[in-house]
Amino acid sequence: MSRDTTTLEPATGLALQDRLRLAGTSLARIGGLFLAVLLIGGAFAVLSEGRFIGIANLLGLLRAMSTIAIVGVGLTMVIVVGEIDLSFGALYGLCATVLAVSWMEGGLPVYAAIILAFLVAIGVGSFNAFFTTVVKVPSFIATLGASTLIFGFTLFLGQTQTFNPAYPATGRPLDPDQLAFFTGLSNQSLPLGVPMQGLWMIGVAIVFAFLLGRSLFGFRLKAIGGNPQAAVLARLPVRRYKFFAFILAGLMACLAAVLDFAFVGSASPSGGQSLLFPVFAAVIIGGASLSGGRGTVVGTLLGALLLAILTNGLAVLRADTFAQQMLLGTVTIGAVVLDQATRRFAR
Amino acid sequence: MTAESDGTIPTEPGDLRVSDMSPDDPRRAASGVTIRGLYKRYGDTVALAGLDVDARPGEIFGIAGPNGAGKSTMVKILAGELAADEGEIAVDGHPWSASVGWQRVAVVHQEPQLFPNLTVAENIIVGRERSRWLRHGVNPFEQQLLADLGIDGLAHRPLETVALAVQQRTEIARALAQDARVFLFDEPNSALTDEESDDLFRRMHALAAAGRVVILVSHRLAELVTHCDRVAVVLDGRTTRVLEGPDLTQEGIARGLVVGQSAREAVLDSRRIAGDRLLQLQGWHHGRGEFGDVELELLAGTIVAIVGVEGSGARELVRSMAGFEPATGRADLGRAGRQISDVTAFVPADRQASLFTNLTIGDNLVARLGRPITGPLGALRRGRMSSIARDAIRRFRVKTDTIARPIRSLSGGNQQKVAIAAAIILRPRILVLEEPTRGVDIGSKREIYRLVRAFASEGNAIVMYCTEVPEVFEAADIVHVLSDGRLSGPVSIAAHEDVESLAAEITRLERHSRTPTELRGVPAAG
Repeated sequence: MSRDTTTLEPATGLALQDRLRLAGTSLARIGGLFLAVLLIGGAFAVLSEGRFIGIANLLGLLRAMSTIAIVGVGLTMVIVVGEIDLSFGALYGLCATVLAVSWMEGGLPVYAAIILAFLVAIGVGSFNAFFTTVVKVPSFIATLGASTLIFGFTLFLGQTQTFNPAYPATGRPLDPDQLAFFTGLSNQSLPLGVPMQGLWMIGVAIVFAFLLGRSLFGFRLKAIGGNPQAAVLARLPVRRYKFFAFILAGLMACLAAVLDFAFVGSASPSGGQSLLFPVFAAVIIGGASLSGGRGTVVGTLLGALLLAILTNGLAVLRADTFAQQMLLGTVTIGAVVLDQATRRFAR
Repeated sequence: MTAESDGTIPTEPGDLRVSDMSPDDPRRAASGVTIRGLYKRYGDTVALAGLDVDARPGEIFGIAGPNGAGKSTMVKILAGELAADEGEIAVDGHPWSASVGWQRVAVVHQEPQLFPNLTVAENIIVGRERSRWLRHGVNPFEQQLLADLGIDGLAHRPLETVALAVQQRTEIARALAQDARVFLFDEPNSALTDEESDDLFRRMHALAAAGRVVILVSHRLAELVTHCDRVAVVLDGRTTRVLEGPDLTQEGIARGLVVGQSAREAVLDSRRIAGDRLLQLQGWHHGRGEFGDVELELLAGTIVAIVGVEGSGARELVRSMAGFEPATGRADLGRAGRQISDVTAFVPADRQASLFTNLTIGDNLVARLGRPITGPLGALRRGRMSSIARDAIRRFRVKTDTIARPIRSLSGGNQQKVAIAAAIILRPRILVLEEPTRGVDIGSKREIYRLVRAFASEGNAIVMYCTEVPEVFEAADIVHVLSDGRLSGPVSIAAHEDVESLAAEITRLERHSRTPTELRGVPAAG
């Protein structure tokens, strides 16, 4: 018998039948969600007599989905490894505040202030991972607590004010080059009026799709999330990977905060609180399993798109607030029910 | 047949009381528990293949059998957790099923299945409360039961705060309160102290003396011999023999457990002379005292089995050799600076703990690999992964047409082959296996032994925790017996002509080490 099993015949790729089988299952999964996006989008287009699919509205849609999608792909990592992160909304507010305070009041150059914000995000991600994997507090509780802790700290740091780079509270105007750089991060006109944030989203999606779907990191992330006990006994680096997942989620919440701050032109401590529902809904609608081991970047993107379509479409139709809220809740549950049904059917 | 019973046999037309019958009356057999032709299969695996049991009132009836013989399936059927596919169960001549008369059979588990958040007294009355609204208490009869079992002083303590032995007595009291006829004890004392188990056995004798049917399922041969009037040996889902009187000895049971399973095949021929020493343990102590003073040596090319009943510390010893149980002492791995985790791979007994159910067969096979399946930038080499996986299913004879199926689509035996193959692909110098063929069919067992042997003969060492003598006989070169935390010296399998003499030797070693440790000049582990 051959002594070395790892030097085998030249890699020939998957056998055709294996390829077809894999393609079939993932198509059925993504395809169902894509169909839902088309159907709901089509319904809005008809109901709004075409206003919904106007170019301006569609571009607005792209920007609306990008915040959810950027935070969502970060959260997908945590969900896939079998944990939960409830602190990204508060972290979003903290990162924007850290950036604003250190730049506008502390006098740091904006570049350093942005790096500082990302370092804070890494710190919060590590904090979550530490309490989850070392102290062994369930991540639901650890990050729920972290969320409130962070929000309190943000209020203290920002003295509960809202920051606007165009009108700094200190009265000293900011360096115009730095201001231009900062607003240029996302408030820049691209050809055809494509929002800059859409490009950021696509870049982030490509990186994370590679990480989750094509790299050893993603493969092990899924294995750990699918069976943490087996992962420990097989000596997979469980703790380290959970640290990475929480840190990536923190970094993406921070990135979204910086981009939104640059686009909107103001930051407030509570800016991220309203992200909790749509981001979670997007990730779960996108097919990630709360019990871990399952989730894709494409799914999360489609989930974010679906939520953006719903919010935007209902706004275009001028639906009452109560109707919007009730419909969002219904769709979230309905999407997961549908997903489970297609999974059973595919089996 | 009625669900409630006043403790006597309900009289129905044509029904006779046992006391009315002469001892030779064939109808006397109708008294007690009669199981005829019990049959149960899970998928491809036959768990019970026509099991027959006759347990009479007034006796303690023992059931012995190796893992996977069908004992636990029988217990589950009698507990009402499972339905049999075929076969009949009668209690005192009346057909019994889980839906009619479930109260008549009480199962006392190794881990009591009660309500940990309720008090001892509440556990006894829950389900039979007389009032929906008022605070309910125990009636005088139940109070007497508690007193008889010596737990009346603890009646108002939450169950989770009392000792395991008290929880078991609560389970017995609960069964008595609902007037069960049959008491089935399923490995009841594996977590009890000696004193507590003595007390439990006294209660079992008292139940039998009161005319109830007592059935004891146990791994511990000494207890079966001491306490049972008759012992049935169950093999492959059938009762192969019932021992009583002078035939009821530990050796008799041990031989009965392994009879007909001595097919040692070509495996023997490939046994090689042992090579380098890969691991030497000296003064190896468990972190929580499950074993101590272990001396053990692993040589390249050999398969070493560690045998011991549940609770003996054998499982912990094997796990500690892979670094998954805390242990202290000297572990010499041949080269300075080597860690146990560098040279070992571990496969747990439970497939729930060894396989990734969300991954495909192919991904499970390569899940432990890191560098061989990674390219630039940490990208997965998918082509490499599938060629390794496809080579593995060929080599390890995993029965599947494609590696892209979910792991759960495989039979238990093939899943186990994948679990072990995934560890072997990693090419550890020492492969640590825990009950490598638990819940696996005979055919897959042979193939697993073959692939483990092939891996050993490539110059690696294998250590495995076994609970079954035939497995030791068929797969291992050397066996150590762990009993009460002490490890016996090595026993060569080749020195034993047949599995029965090996079984007798192992039984002797298990008993031998039960002599008080002080007598052998070894201080008891603290």
